[in-house]
Amino acid sequence: MQKLWSVFFGLVLTAIFALCAVSPWVGWWLPQNVSSYGGDVDALFYIILAITGVTFVITEVLLVWFMYQYAYNPQRKARYVEGNHRLELVWTVATAAVLLYVAFTQVNVWENIKYQGRMPEPSLTVQVTGRQWEWHIRYPTPLDVFDQPASLEKPMAWAEAPEIDDVRTSNELHTWVGAKVRIYLKTEDVIHSFGLPNLRLMQDALPGKTIPMWFKATAANTQWNEAAGRCEEPADASRRWEIACKELCGGGHYRMRGRLYVHPNEDDFRAWLTYRLKAQSSHEPEKTPSAAGTPVASNTKE
Amino acid sequence: MSISHLHETGTHSHELGFLRKYIFSEDHKVIGIQFLFSGLIFLFIGGALALLVRLQVAYPNGVPILSMWFPKSWGDKMSPEFYTMLFSMHASVMIFFVIIPLLTGSFGNFLIPLMIGAKDMAFPKLNMCSYWFMWPGFVVIVASFFVDGGGAGSGWTSYPTLASVMLGPGQGWNSPSSPHSGLGQVFWLIALIFVGISSMMGSINYVTTIINMRAPGMTLFRMPMTVWALFITAILQAMALPVLTVALIMQLLDKTINTTFFLPPGGLEFGNLHTAAGGGQPLLWQHVFWFYSHPAVYIMILPAMGMVSDVIATFSRKPLFGYRPMVYALAGIAGLGFIVWGHHMFQSGMDPRLGTGFMLATMMIALPSAIKVFNWLGTVWGGNVHYTTAMLNALAFVAMFVIGGLSGIFMAATPVDVYFHDTYFIVAHIHYVLFMSSVFGIFAGIYFWFPKMFGRLLNEPLGKVHFALTFVLANCTFFPMHIIGIGGHPRRYFDSTMYSTWSHFRELNQFMTISAILLGFAQFIFVFNFAWSLVRGKIAGRNPWHSNTLEWTAPSPPPHGNFEHVPIVRRGPYEYSVPDMAEDYLPQTAAHPAGVPQPVATH
Repeated sequence: MQKLWSVFFGLVLTAIFALCAVSPWVGWWLPQNVSSYGGDVDALFYIILAITGVTFVITEVLLVWFMYQYAYNPQRKARYVEGNHRLELVWTVATAAVLLYVAFTQVNVWENIKYQGRMPEPSLTVQVTGRQWEWHIRYPTPLDVFDQPASLEKPMAWAEAPEIDDVRTSNELHTWVGAKVRIYLKTEDVIHSFGLPNLRLMQDALPGKTIPMWFKATAANTQWNEAAGRCEEPADASRRWEIACKELCGGGHYRMRGRLYVHPNEDDFRAWLTYRLKAQSSHEPEKTPSAAGTPVASNTKE
Repeated sequence: MSISHLHETGTHSHELGFLRKYIFSEDHKVIGIQFLFSGLIFLFIGGALALLVRLQVAYPNGVPILSMWFPKSWGDKMSPEFYTMLFSMHASVMIFFVIIPLLTGSFGNFLIPLMIGAKDMAFPKLNMCSYWFMWPGFVVIVASFFVDGGGAGSGWTSYPTLASVMLGPGQGWNSPSSPHSGLGQVFWLIALIFVGISSMMGSINYVTTIINMRAPGMTLFRMPMTVWALFITAILQAMALPVLTVALIMQLLDKTINTTFFLPPGGLEFGNLHTAAGGGQPLLWQHVFWFYSHPAVYIMILPAMGMVSDVIATFSRKPLFGYRPMVYALAGIAGLGFIVWGHHMFQSGMDPRLGTGFMLATMMIALPSAIKVFNWLGTVWGGNVHYTTAMLNALAFVAMFVIGGLSGIFMAATPVDVYFHDTYFIVAHIHYVLFMSSVFGIFAGIYFWFPKMFGRLLNEPLGKVHFALTFVLANCTFFPMHIIGIGGHPRRYFDSTMYSTWSHFRELNQFMTISAILLGFAQFIFVFNFAWSLVRGKIAGRNPWHSNTLEWTAPSPPPHGNFEHVPIVRRGPYEYSVPDMAEDYLPQTAAHPAGVPQPVATH
């Protein structure tokens, strides 16, 4: 009867293990990765999954086994053991070694994703501004306005000061396969987080700061259709790569959704951009965000 | 300082009136029980909020049944702003009004003097104040639900500028960022300041009591793990809480007298509304807040670790495996706990080079946690395990803490965190640590010390039914959160089904919600057991579990002053199954039976 408790624990823990094992096969797993460094992130995830999975199995099996083996028996007396110095030393050193391994294998990937000095020279510069509750995205035209390979001074100045011929989109980020995209991320109001799960990329936008981030997409999911004046939707819904806000920003946080459109090549992207520029200049230009920091006493929101 | 001063024996001779005895009591046991009841009541408020959150997540297009009672202005759905309030208040209530008061307020107060052989706390009046400073907090946090705009809705982390920004002088209590960032947020800040002051008073008292009031013979390394854990927790609180209080006051000033600690120099734009220029930095809040709130995570788990160690040793009838490594591991967790706060901020926009440093420290904090798990396993190994309800809850703590500890490693790895940050994976992780571990630890503590608190045993069969249901249903509720987290499902989303990336998790979300509701109902078994056993439970006697520590030598419940005589401590707390003895336990105070070799006196 006493031993049944170990069986009970064993069943629950087995169910947990089974759920993990089954999930990848029923589509409950990482979404498709389409960024150049996403593979490294996923590889790290699998390394950690393997290490933690083995640790989980070993410790839980030992627990359940001990619970079974040493269940109360009036004929027996417990061992009088206060510890084992050597054993403590072994598991401390072994655990420390594994943790140090995990710690140091990841440093390089982190540096590649986030260190400003490691970011490659951009082939496309974009400025993204979060606000409640949408993403404003600006592209410079012509695209080679920044005489490369120059310093980043010009793109950074452009990120701070919008120009009249910038192409503006709302919630749509366009790029092409292989383009090294540099994003300058800002926010007008509260903290947002520009999250692109398929690129394994996320970065908080901080009020008052401009934060650089970069990625390179490795697969396309759209093509420009000049005749129809729109980008083709991918046939497969799982290739609708989405942008999601990952930092609570108020009631509309959940609907701060964007889309990532990756064109097959630069020409296709430029065709889209040119079309957008024309369409845009035939209308009144959108409201240019006024220089940040101008205090205007008004209370007209809503 | 290893030996306490000799305090008088006997109890106060004069009878205290009802008010002084049960309401404004200076007796640590009464104060502990006051914290226990307050915490358990708030547990149900926090739980109800959690169920509303879960209902919305599972049924984003209209919550079944409940929709009937929603205000007309919402239509047939919950309002998204209301939803942000639900999860913010759920976390705030659970952390500041349930887990911390239960672990440190309740068990800390009740157990410390009893387990070190003191007749009360060092500062009984301060102790009384620490409980009564909770009350303004209780009142204000409950009132905040009903103020204009509703309770706070910026998450329990209350990041500026969402939480902090206000319209400007003379324009009332509304915030341009969210209706819930108005008066509700101000109330939230005030309530937490009171809770913080309460905890600071408690922690100073615990540290002083443990250092100065130990019974003769109670050296530091003869203290039970519970006392060690509460001691280290109190030091953490005493050092970290002032920082939180400062942060709370800074945000309160931003909201009331228009300081700009967290408003950037350029001000902010909300549509056509421009705020005044600031001069501060929103990131400052995150640093100061997490400097407290990361140690707070350990404040919410270390006491449970201590209690579980005692419960496991008692019911394995074995000395705790590796007593000293266990103490050093606790100290290691506490020490490292102060230099890992930045791992909450990897994606926050702070310099990514800082992230590398915080990552290394965070990885190393997994080491003492692992050492503790191995030592608990070592304690059960070779034991003669009694499966009481307390023991089952303690073993569940170990089994679940393994999961909660391991899942943390994913997010400690900076590149993996880029993907996992603010997904349900972190929600799963925090609930495996705070629900599956801390709450099972609290249940273990309640089942174990209830007889000492009230003189009666909780009903064991009911306790086991409660445990089995809680264990299964809590896993059904929280484990699949890892899976949807791996899928990238964001936390704090009112409706994730509008995203094609996550719409296929709807059924799994519904499964978790149904499990959560059942889990909530299962707790009424505990409530019934608690209430019934208070009046009809089996009389416990002094030492129902045949345990060694000092509290079991006092009557149940102990009178004012606790012990008839000052206990003389002769050995460590874990002398179970000493060879060549008939009994399988040897209390810390017992004179050793003649003719039997003295076991190792100090660990």
